[in-house]
Amino acid sequence: MAHVVLKDLVKTYGGFKAVNEVSLTVNDGEFVALVGPSGCGKTTTLNLVAGLTSVTSGDIVIGDRVVNDLDPKDRDIAMVFQNYALYPQKSVYMNLAFPLQMRKLPRDEIDRKVREAARVLDMTQLLERKPRELSGGQQQRVALGRALVRDPAVFLMDEPLSNLDAKLRVQMRSEIKRFHQDLKATIIYVTHDQLEAVTMADRMAVMNGGYLQQYDSPAQVFAHPVNMFVASFVGSPAMSLIPLEASTANGDAVLTSAEGWSLALSEANARKIQGATTRKIVLGARHSTIKLHKSAVAGAIPAKAYTVEPTGDVTFVQAFLSGAIVNISVSPKIAVAPDEQIWLEFDQERMHLFDGETEMALRAN
Amino acid sequence: MSTIAETASRDQIRRRQRVDGWRWAGRLFLVFMLLYTALPMVWMLSTSIKSGFAAMQFSPQLWPDQPTLASYQKLLDPQNSVGQDFLRFFWNSLIVSTATTILSVIVAVPAAYAFSRFTFPGRNFLFFAVLLRNMFPAVIFLVPLFILMRAIGLVNTHGSLVLTYLTFGLPLAIWLLKGFYDNIPVQLEQAARIDGATRFQAFMLIVMPLSTPGIIATAIYSFIGAWNEYIYAYTFLSKNEQLTLPVGIQRFFSENTTDFPGLMAASFMMSVPVVVLFLLLQRYFVRALTEGAVKH
Repeated sequence: MAHVVLKDLVKTYGGFKAVNEVSLTVNDGEFVALVGPSGCGKTTTLNLVAGLTSVTSGDIVIGDRVVNDLDPKDRDIAMVFQNYALYPQKSVYMNLAFPLQMRKLPRDEIDRKVREAARVLDMTQLLERKPRELSGGQQQRVALGRALVRDPAVFLMDEPLSNLDAKLRVQMRSEIKRFHQDLKATIIYVTHDQLEAVTMADRMAVMNGGYLQQYDSPAQVFAHPVNMFVASFVGSPAMSLIPLEASTANGDAVLTSAEGWSLALSEANARKIQGATTRKIVLGARHSTIKLHKSAVAGAIPAKAYTVEPTGDVTFVQAFLSGAIVNISVSPKIAVAPDEQIWLEFDQERMHLFDGETEMALRAN
Repeated sequence: MSTIAETASRDQIRRRQRVDGWRWAGRLFLVFMLLYTALPMVWMLSTSIKSGFAAMQFSPQLWPDQPTLASYQKLLDPQNSVGQDFLRFFWNSLIVSTATTILSVIVAVPAAYAFSRFTFPGRNFLFFAVLLRNMFPAVIFLVPLFILMRAIGLVNTHGSLVLTYLTFGLPLAIWLLKGFYDNIPVQLEQAARIDGATRFQAFMLIVMPLSTPGIIATAIYSFIGAWNEYIYAYTFLSKNEQLTLPVGIQRFFSENTTDFPGLMAASFMMSVPVVVLFLLLQRYFVRALTEGAVKH
């Protein structure tokens, strides 16, 4: 196992910058998820680490070697692909044996390692089958087996669960997490699904437009998103972002809406908005931090319920505030009807404030 | 309720009937096409086993009273001057077609792979240029190519034919094979390269085996194209001992106008390799389509 360091990594295609000065360190044995919407540069970053794409500038270090100019085969990595990339003409056994054959291991050692990997992944009875005779989940497992049979320094995984159905995805998610815990493997895992990143990774690197937005533990990213993009990308349903304007009323800082209502800010929050470059402030609130009242309460904002979505455990209510959709989760015991008048109370402690111009989170100094 | 069910089932029946109507029309059409293509072959075969007299008989017999293999014996007899000519033409055709096929695969495989996998300046232009050749009737190039061949001293050599046939066969071979490579996910090669293979090994060990059906299909296609070609062989070659079968048989025809059984026997034997290869071609095409060598 080894650590991986990306230093000011840049990849351009023609004039298009796919990866833009990305720097991050993956510690030995750490599970890092690269997450972002499609086209954000996460897969390109992974391909750069794998050596499948050449680096425009910057450095990639695996272990203690700069691997920029090394062939993929010399980087001591293994990769699991979204479409599994199992060799269709080879049996499962030969698929698992291929990386070992390429390294010219003696035949009996190959046999021992292949059977060991098959035993670990519980697919000894599948060894003679061809990939097309396997189910999606089994193919996924073979792909995982082909990666682990070699005991590489780093595992690279490119959306390995995207082709599975929802139920299997949840199951394989915990298997991969277990796999990481057992092997203490260094894993770089690319996904567009923030839920996978949050549930599996030790740290997640949120990317957008080729830039690394935030690199931290899922809990930190969730609790302290650095900007509006991260805030809206991580968490489901997404954080509600309400555009407002900073002003004062009777000497106290308030956020006023174009709709006429205003929201008084706590002292701590008032200090935060002093750091803003503009009077435009975006209020961010997660569904669980907004309290729904069915009658007027001091400090609560009046709104109308738009849709009501019961999910069993919780009911999600959507409302419009200042032209933005606001998600609120309530106990299923509280009956809310569409178009019903409701009052929303924001939790001052857990609300997020963003600069309306730079879209960066406002922090207390 | 029952009326709804009844209407539904009646609808179903009507739909099935309509489909069956089309299916029968299709079958009828296929039978017609089969007769259209097979009858001349049958006629050729039946004439080839007739005696010279029976072949001219009116009204003609579909199957001769006294079938004879005399024409075949004559054609395949190296002692006989007709046999010598025929066997030499056959051999010439075999050499030219095989050389064309081998060269075309050797060039088309890497070319198609490059067009499929790499981006390089002028890629689209080159690919279009490759196809451009096939947008003109072959005859247009006859005179220019003849002048060219004469200038480089290749007239009256089999090399001139091989070169010419490559210009027909290669574009299509490249085009066909590129389609094959496009369908092989690039991740397979990437996986192989990460698993320890060089780029070349990844191509040889993973991509080549997967594209075998495509390579064989293209090879057979090139072979048949070269085997049947007439006009260039007729123009470029004038020495009797170099002629290929199509030209040879044509000459045979003008010299032996009366020997219909002999002509038909020669034509039949010329078509044997093509028919055999076509059967193989069909098998490989079907294999390539159904086996799912590449599954997404």
